[in-house]
Amino acid sequence: MPITASQADALRELGNIGAAHAATTLSTMLMSNIEMDVPEISLVDISRIHEYVGDDLAALVLFQVMGEVTSGGYLLLYIPKRSIVRLTNVMLGMTDPDRDLTEMDHSALLEIGNIMVSAFLDGTAGLLNIVMLPSPPSLVIDMPHAAIETILAAQEHSDINEVVIFRTELKSDEHAISSSIFLLPNEPMLNEILSMLETLISPGS
Amino acid sequence: MDLQGGEGESPTVIVGIGEYCVGNGVMSCIGLGSCIGLILHSSDRQVGSLAHVMLPAINPGKQERPGKYADTAVPLLLKEMIAKGCRRSSIVVKIAGGASMFKNFAGTLNIGERNVEAIREVCTGLNLSIVGDDTGGVVGRTIFYYPKQQGKIVVRRGDGTIVEI
Repeated sequence: MPITASQADALRELGNIGAAHAATTLSTMLMSNIEMDVPEISLVDISRIHEYVGDDLAALVLFQVMGEVTSGGYLLLYIPKRSIVRLTNVMLGMTDPDRDLTEMDHSALLEIGNIMVSAFLDGTAGLLNIVMLPSPPSLVIDMPHAAIETILAAQEHSDINEVVIFRTELKSDEHAISSSIFLLPNEPMLNEILSMLETLISPGS
Repeated sequence: MDLQGGEGESPTVIVGIGEYCVGNGVMSCIGLGSCIGLILHSSDRQVGSLAHVMLPAINPGKQERPGKYADTAVPLLLKEMIAKGCRRSSIVVKIAGGASMFKNFAGTLNIGERNVEAIREVCTGLNLSIVGDDTGGVVGRTIFYYPKQQGKIVVRRGDGTIVEI
């Protein structure tokens, strides 16, 4: 599934809008400025995914994308290990940076994931003029590469060799919290989104 | 514990999803989830091979990426090892990975278990014995395989524990 430069631009713009919505909600939750970088879009061979996501522990809140698109694509909120407690501390009004994670932290992570991913999908779906919804979330605190390869292997009916990885980083310098939103569309979903984007930007529409 | 080779020679080869490698240098798979790190090791030549297996079976008619599927990876590594001069009777198998990481999506994501079963079945069929096994559970795994240290494999799990198989 090759992507042209203009398709990548359109996807980047779509992701920008989604990430901006997610950043606003994160900013409200943390009552802090959030910095957002330009989304990266890469077509990655499965054998090279380890160059994009490694085995350093992180929290991943995972959603399937549902609604008026072919389901099977995934959205992930990725929070590196050092940011996990800092984030939940701000949310839960706690201060100890070295404490162990509890059920409360897990709930807080699911909650922030839900809020940010819903906002991301609201933003993108609004632009495309369709409805997109997240599935109930699943939380893992483990190696990101392991989680992502599991997701990709489960799409076995399509037995993929490459994947589009979309990533935006959102940071709060005040709280030293970093997070990223990953979108992993499957091929049918990607094609649908690309054709909707083409209709949007083509003259006369 | 030194996880990075540490013999001051060829750098560790990272075997990505669907890839395989044969030789006597240190080999690694980073972040195995439902995938399997499949190792065939020859005890008398101190040579081995590692494949990063993603799925139980190749689609009929396909030939590319034989390291990606359990049913093609095992015979492939066996053939490559014999081509390197290993006696078939000296070759043993070790496996790591095959986790089920997502509780909520269990129905579609129990691919890890099916990968492990597929590898076991193929090994039985080829009369290969599995002498090391760290599979299943819910954690990711990074493995380092040292052909020149009696085929030692160091497994670092997502929960922080480290085991040798």
